[in-house]
Amino acid sequence: MLFNSVGYLLFLPVTVALYYLLPGRWRCVFLLAASYFFYLIWRVEFVLVLISATLVSYFVALKMGQIPKKKQRLKYLVFSLVINLGMLVFFKYLGFFTDIVNQIAGITGGSSVIPYYSILLPIGISFYTFQTIGYTLDVYRGVLKPEKNIGIYALFVSFFPLVLGGPIERGRRLIPQFHINHDFDPALITGGLRLILWGMFKKIVIADRLSIYVQPVFNEPGYFNGIAIVLVVMLKMMQVYADFSGYTDIAIGSARLMGIKLNPNFNRPFSAQSISAFWSRWHISLTSWLRDYVYFSLPFKYHGKIVKWRMNLNLVITFVLVGFWHGPYWNFLIFGLLHGFYMIMANISRPFMSDFNRISGLTKAPRLLQGLNITATFLLVCFSAFFFGQHQLRDSFMMIGNLTDFSHPGKVIIPLLKNNDFLLGILLIIFMLWFEYLIAKKSFALKFLNKPLYLRFTAYLIMVFFLLVFGVFSSQNFFYLQF
Amino acid sequence: MTRNKQFFTKFCTFIILVLVVNMALNAVYNHWMYYFRLSRNQDAQFEAYSDTLKYLMLGNSHDRVNPEILGNGFSYMTPKESYIQTYYKLKYILKKTNKKPENIFLSIDPVNFSPRTEKDVSFDGYWRKYLNYYEMAIENHDPGYFMNWFTGNFCSYVGNYKYAYMSLLFINVDLLKIKNGYIPARNYKNFAKEPDREALGFEIATAYLSSYSKKSVLGESKYYCKILALCKQYKIHLMLLRMPMTDEYLKYARKMVDLDKLDREIIDITRKHCDDYQVFDFRNEFHGKPEYFFNADHVNPDGVKIISLKIKQFTIDH
Repeated sequence: MLFNSVGYLLFLPVTVALYYLLPGRWRCVFLLAASYFFYLIWRVEFVLVLISATLVSYFVALKMGQIPKKKQRLKYLVFSLVINLGMLVFFKYLGFFTDIVNQIAGITGGSSVIPYYSILLPIGISFYTFQTIGYTLDVYRGVLKPEKNIGIYALFVSFFPLVLGGPIERGRRLIPQFHINHDFDPALITGGLRLILWGMFKKIVIADRLSIYVQPVFNEPGYFNGIAIVLVVMLKMMQVYADFSGYTDIAIGSARLMGIKLNPNFNRPFSAQSISAFWSRWHISLTSWLRDYVYFSLPFKYHGKIVKWRMNLNLVITFVLVGFWHGPYWNFLIFGLLHGFYMIMANISRPFMSDFNRISGLTKAPRLLQGLNITATFLLVCFSAFFFGQHQLRDSFMMIGNLTDFSHPGKVIIPLLKNNDFLLGILLIIFMLWFEYLIAKKSFALKFLNKPLYLRFTAYLIMVFFLLVFGVFSSQNFFYLQF
Repeated sequence: MTRNKQFFTKFCTFIILVLVVNMALNAVYNHWMYYFRLSRNQDAQFEAYSDTLKYLMLGNSHDRVNPEILGNGFSYMTPKESYIQTYYKLKYILKKTNKKPENIFLSIDPVNFSPRTEKDVSFDGYWRKYLNYYEMAIENHDPGYFMNWFTGNFCSYVGNYKYAYMSLLFINVDLLKIKNGYIPARNYKNFAKEPDREALGFEIATAYLSSYSKKSVLGESKYYCKILALCKQYKIHLMLLRMPMTDEYLKYARKMVDLDKLDREIIDITRKHCDDYQVFDFRNEFHGKPEYFFNADHVNPDGVKIISLKIKQFTIDH
């Protein structure tokens, strides 16, 4: 069931209504049943993987909770990691590694050594596996007590707003919320509905409209020249943002309807002034997960001293994982490597850049410096978008190769400027960025909520009918559900 | 408790407001939508048509044969019409009106069989009177058709801002120009004068034909076969058309679809379901003559005239 489907529009209000009508002790049982139903709709077999991930991490955590010494807990942690990561590797990465082995065998003159099996990827596996691993690691580190109620724990893993595409939640934040009896709170309901409406707007009106321009170029890159490619790669970043942040808003809004607060996943990433700031604002739940459980777990010392090259190496490893988490494609590996490279270059050039800014007088014009930094970060991120997707790697390089082809720019630009749909897409991007800038200001929300009811209703009605009239209703999947 | 009561009152008020605005928008859109007005006009003309119905032209905007040139004909082509819609409209004509055509024109171009368009249903605000959405959903195992029924009946404007805008532009259009159902081909630009015909050809080919699977060219073709079966049942002669394509469109179409194989497969399937048909192949009729096209995949009035006269000549000769 997709968030942007009619099925979900029926499922959500029924679930929320029943949730509040039921007595407190039955609510979690009901939510668990609703979440499994929500997941079952995709494919019955997928539930087995979800149940396995839940049971393994639940029992391992319980066992670790009984062992006081961290060292003795290690073997259980390893067991849990092997099973959970093993399932992830099996379903998501087996084909990729099989291909590599067979290609190496082919190069060395042998025939295929491993038969290739096409395995269907259980939806949401990357998200809930990371959630269970995070939980197990927290219990191992002793920062979280294991959850004894298997129903609550199963709900933590399968909670329907986040099981398909995150945000990747932490046990210590989410599990306690399932123990509380949430009273019906009109403020939470209206807040949740507002978020859902804004999320739907970003997905249906903006992301799906932009995909009309992005998809053909990424499908047939050979036919397009530099201007078209530059335009489309920028639009792609906006499309992915509108799509995934729209998804996240719907997820957070849906959870809020039941009194559950989820972590934000985005914080206006295109206003970031550096790549590291970008990653602290983009897919926050994944990057903070990798920071806490991978980056800080890697060794920083060499011969007893903290060394820079180790830090840089750790950055590269972490970003390769960021890339590879998205999928078993060379594209994503290069995407991760590229961002790792950006981070190292930023670290190396920091002293030089501050000198340059001082000497050139840019420090005296902070607004200009801010604008330049935002533009440079955006362009670097856009360049990495060539590798962000499941298209062929050679297509990525073909597009980069075609970047310098500026033949007949008018043939690209003029029809686009005459195209109402394209202009509408551009205006909507500007509106989205401006509106999110306003939302980020608390004073705006307060001012809006203090407006007379008829004005607020008018604003909501405009939003609803703008969505209905200008939306692209072709049931397009969410971009991040493929991961 | 009072707070909750207040919330529910406000919430219900908002929902009622949404429903009222929706009803108003739906009514306005259904009344003024340009294509709906064209199609309703065709319906009225068809109802009033009293001559012998020798030729009935079905299909979409690509399939233009002027019934005035042929004589005793009626053009019932509507924009974006797919085989599924053609089937239900033909069924309606044969079973619910007393008009029985002797010959039916139907195009067999790659766009008609494209997996993307074959079962595509649009403009439900008009089509709801012909289509059996329940039957379509059951036969195709696709509950999406229920959504088509819903939008067609209650909110046909959804997602259609382009058509609303177009309807504003054509608000004063003279529907009297439509004779015997024939909507004149568009003529406000000429494909020969386009600066980048190659790009336009590619754009159209990608939009309509990129969903073809190269392994098996022809998809299910369920509704094409149903049309053939209806024609056979009512002893109607089928005149199958391959409409002209611009060189640029054809070039990219050939890259995306094995057109020769597709044509062979279409004829094979036609032969299986119908024995009274003939094929008019105009695909290369305007090779090297972009001036006969309005855009990459639509002929202009001059092109329609040539095609219609050729068919007329054929009917005289045979």
